[in-house]
Amino acid sequence: MSANPPNTSLDRAHIRNFSIIAHIDHGKSTLADRLLQATNAVSAREAKEQILDSMDLERERGITIKASAVTVYHRHKPGSKSDDLETDYEAPADETGEHRAVKGTADEHGELFMLNFIDTPGHVDFNYEVSRALKACEGAILVVDATQGVQAQTVVNAYLAINEDLAIVPVINKIDLPSARPDDMAMEVEQVLGIRAEECIYVSAKTGQGIKELLAAICEKFPPPREPVTPKLRALIFDAVYDDYRGVITYVRVMDGGQLKVGDKIRMLGTGRTFQVTDLGKYTPKPVRVPTLGPGETGYIVAAIRSLKDVRIGDTVTLELDPATEPLPGYKPPMQMVFCDFYPATTSETKGSDFEQLRDAMEKLSLNDSSFTFQPVHSDALGFGFRCGFLGLLHMDIIQERLEREGNVEIVQTAPTVSYQVLIRGDANQAVKTSNKGGIPPTVVAGAGQKFPGTEQIIPENRTLLEVHNPADLPDPSSIEDIREPICKVDIILPKEYIGDVMKLCMDRRGIYKSQSFISSDREMLTFEIPLAEIIYDFFDKLKGMTSGYGTMDYELLGYRPDNLVKMDILVNGDPVEALSIIVHRERAEHRGRHLVSKLREQIPRHQFEIPVQAAIGSKIIARETIKSFRKNVTAKCYGGDVSRKRKLLEKQKEGKKRMKSIGSVEIPQEAFMAVLDQGD
Amino acid sequence: MVQHSRLEILGQHAAGETNSADEPAARAYASRVVGPWSSGSDRETVRSLYFHVPFCFHKCHYCDFYSFVDTQDRQQPFVDRLERELAALGRLAGHPTLRTVFVGGGTPSLLKVDLWERLLAALRTHFDMSEFAASAADGADRYAGAEFTVECNPETVSEPLMASLRAGGVNRVSIGAQSFNPRHLKTLERWHDPDSVPRAVELARSAGIARQSIDLIHALPGQTEDEWAEDLDRVLSLGVTHVSCYTLTYEPGTALTARMRRGEIEPAGEDLEACLYEAAVSRLQSAGLSRYEISNFAASESDRSMHNLAYWRQEQWLAAGPSASGHLWRGGSMRGGSWRWKNVPRLGDYLSLDDNGLAPIAELETPDPARLLRERLMMGLRLEEGIDARDFLADTVAIAPDRVERLSEEITSLRDRGLLRSDVRGRWTLSERGLLVADDVAATLMRTLA
Repeated sequence: MSANPPNTSLDRAHIRNFSIIAHIDHGKSTLADRLLQATNAVSAREAKEQILDSMDLERERGITIKASAVTVYHRHKPGSKSDDLETDYEAPADETGEHRAVKGTADEHGELFMLNFIDTPGHVDFNYEVSRALKACEGAILVVDATQGVQAQTVVNAYLAINEDLAIVPVINKIDLPSARPDDMAMEVEQVLGIRAEECIYVSAKTGQGIKELLAAICEKFPPPREPVTPKLRALIFDAVYDDYRGVITYVRVMDGGQLKVGDKIRMLGTGRTFQVTDLGKYTPKPVRVPTLGPGETGYIVAAIRSLKDVRIGDTVTLELDPATEPLPGYKPPMQMVFCDFYPATTSETKGSDFEQLRDAMEKLSLNDSSFTFQPVHSDALGFGFRCGFLGLLHMDIIQERLEREGNVEIVQTAPTVSYQVLIRGDANQAVKTSNKGGIPPTVVAGAGQKFPGTEQIIPENRTLLEVHNPADLPDPSSIEDIREPICKVDIILPKEYIGDVMKLCMDRRGIYKSQSFISSDREMLTFEIPLAEIIYDFFDKLKGMTSGYGTMDYELLGYRPDNLVKMDILVNGDPVEALSIIVHRERAEHRGRHLVSKLREQIPRHQFEIPVQAAIGSKIIARETIKSFRKNVTAKCYGGDVSRKRKLLEKQKEGKKRMKSIGSVEIPQEAFMAVLDQGD
Repeated sequence: MVQHSRLEILGQHAAGETNSADEPAARAYASRVVGPWSSGSDRETVRSLYFHVPFCFHKCHYCDFYSFVDTQDRQQPFVDRLERELAALGRLAGHPTLRTVFVGGGTPSLLKVDLWERLLAALRTHFDMSEFAASAADGADRYAGAEFTVECNPETVSEPLMASLRAGGVNRVSIGAQSFNPRHLKTLERWHDPDSVPRAVELARSAGIARQSIDLIHALPGQTEDEWAEDLDRVLSLGVTHVSCYTLTYEPGTALTARMRRGEIEPAGEDLEACLYEAAVSRLQSAGLSRYEISNFAASESDRSMHNLAYWRQEQWLAAGPSASGHLWRGGSMRGGSWRWKNVPRLGDYLSLDDNGLAPIAELETPDPARLLRERLMMGLRLEEGIDARDFLADTVAIAPDRVERLSEEITSLRDRGLLRSDVRGRWTLSERGLLVADDVAATLMRTLA
């Protein structure tokens, strides 16, 4: 039984657009499911776990990657604090879309409201998707786990919502758990976010307790969509997904003007491109076609758009025939923070079919996810591949996994790095030309006389600020004035007893202490400024480890700052391996170098010959290890019955090396490229 | 399990080739190999036969051979079936004059004496065993140009068995001592008394079985260099003319490997393995037993195992019994490539299935000249004598002319690194260091021919 939307067009006063935001694992997706079920959008039988997460990978990892927008209908009596669940009567199923009540008439259940809700990802890498989703909403449900309380992403997400001027309904979830302390957690919400504890609604998404009250609060406390400010159609694109059959499906929120109809010719104000609307609809959560979308509504547009590259998230959709002039205030484009190379995991030395296969896989995936970037790159050591940019490390892992799974390619990945800004003397164009080794090229950020981005400081005469995305692209050291790295503001919420350890961790990672604030009698929030390069890999794991899993963190980028940074090269068997080069703080270079070469010594298998592994700054060797040649690799028993099996084993050794890369005559396994990341603390 | 599914694949392949219409699933039989081989006009006579006796007292923890503890007393049905198979093989191969016979297991010496006598008689009926008869007649000449080896568990060696074997032409026993240290024997789940080994050697000797070989295993969990030296000394004190020394291998699917995975036992590690191996080489060589294959040592050239040399030199041999594997050339020489096949491993299948006496097979490799070249590298380099470079290059030119250059480059590079030598006889042999990494050297060279 599917819930077709009533064909009665609802006035704006009966539409609510909202998001659910939370720290990861606080039960956001389960709450979304429960709301769908309570409004009878899905029957209990159909209610799979976490309906809104549609990708396999999302289910497996238990995280939400792509935001989804869903529309449901609900009856509410204005002024009441609790609504009967709609499971008491059948959801609208017939052609007329009338609510047919099992118990009483539909009207006795109240007025009909359209609830559009948008599930958002909880991981810090996907913050930009959260902020997109919030732009399309008037309200946000802030979910806090009744056993864990306010966490780092709770704070960051709540402030994202507050900055967008959204009404917030705080929900204390998982109150069915024996260890739940809802009153304490409500106090934390008040303490940290300044939202009064009494406002919190206690809910168990699992049992359904509190859902009636939450539904009433959605209708009562969230404002209806704002009034259109122009008669010309303006709809905000807040998400887009790629579908193999229909091309790009664009999620929009209609803000201004009249009805958008099937057959309308639309124009994207930002890109200027035009398309014909072939389909309009809503997810309920099954896709359901609708003839029109009016102001205040959310829904999707299908318009024969072939690639996600043709759609800019944040762009404004208007009508080609009667266009609006001003676009809606858009979003910032997603910012790639982490970069690494992907190479096909094969031993072929030429630009062959493996590379083409990888390219195909990446192009196909980019139809689905426009937030990662890639450029062909060639490395002496690793052959042909791609330099890629990601929102964060989880995003990188997901892309690699999806490429391997969906594109059937095997990838060797180099260590992720951040981008650096380099202040250079002399001719910038020359520097760009000579330094770029392929991949994402260095870009000129600002020239002499302009300000350093985000500051009032002026770039001096005859100097240029360059951004490089790969340590290998650093210009000649003699022309470098200084190297600047991205700095993050890092918020960490943790139980008090761990503060000492975590402070030390932050300091070891070149963090600058900013503040410490009270959350509750046993928890505090620490704020540090830490270089992004120091936190992209294992910082979060370390934090989790030293706080027995209770510490949480989130970060935002503040800008670039110069420091005493140098490039450290790694030489394997005397040959420099670009993919292992890193930029490090001068004072920590020796420690990192020693740690790194000893890691490499463990990870590069023994060969038939001895292999020196060295770390060097310029021509100065700062650390060295030797991989001994192997002593013994021979089958003891090899008789007549062993020949076939043994031969296959020896021939398989070659295949076993697929995830290895040959550098000179040395085979380096994939893990070795990641060894760079281990800080050794 | 794996072998079973292979069987099914082969079965589909061989559909319509089985002789019996009642056969529920079409299966492949050894006739698929021996048939085409025997009808080839230029076939070279086969000189060797291996047969497999699958019975054991007990499944040893390191063993990945097909064997089991017989609880149903199936020795007699097994011998009946083996007789039929020997008859079929003898007929198809043209009753060849055998020079080497090797009986492995399992524990062949576990077979009852009367059953042994039937098998020995069957051999004489279906094959020309005159070379062995000559050696039997002339007890003084223990190197009569023919070799008939039976693997023995030391505790099963008895006077009547030795006498019967000797009368049937057996002139060599291979005794699985493995270790003389009770603690290490226990790790291997070998329950024999170490003193049964000298007793077995003596029984064989006095029955007139002139050649005895001892198997030893080193790099046992916790084994010290001194313990290993003691084992070597014990063996040398027996006066045997052949010793096989194996590094303990953790074969997948064995109890020992499972225990290693659970962390109950710790493998010796590469460096200690190398050290124990080197100790064996030096101790045995100084006692006059020289290495002729990576794990095999003999007092003189005539003490080397002729049968095993046939394996290492890619010669032909017939196979009988469950899980036994055979090898036959196509077109009368190695250049034509070869068939390799393996009989089904399960005794039940072996007993119940039959194609004019031939056994069902589980694995089959059809002739592929380049494959045989690669196998020659893998097996030949294990020998002290190495590989005849001129022959090998000539065969490579004939079979894979485009690979000659890469092969030669790789040979040069291995030589430059001191792993391989081209000696004065024009043979490629591994250096001492090369022998220790023989698998890697072989894989490197095999890659050039892949």
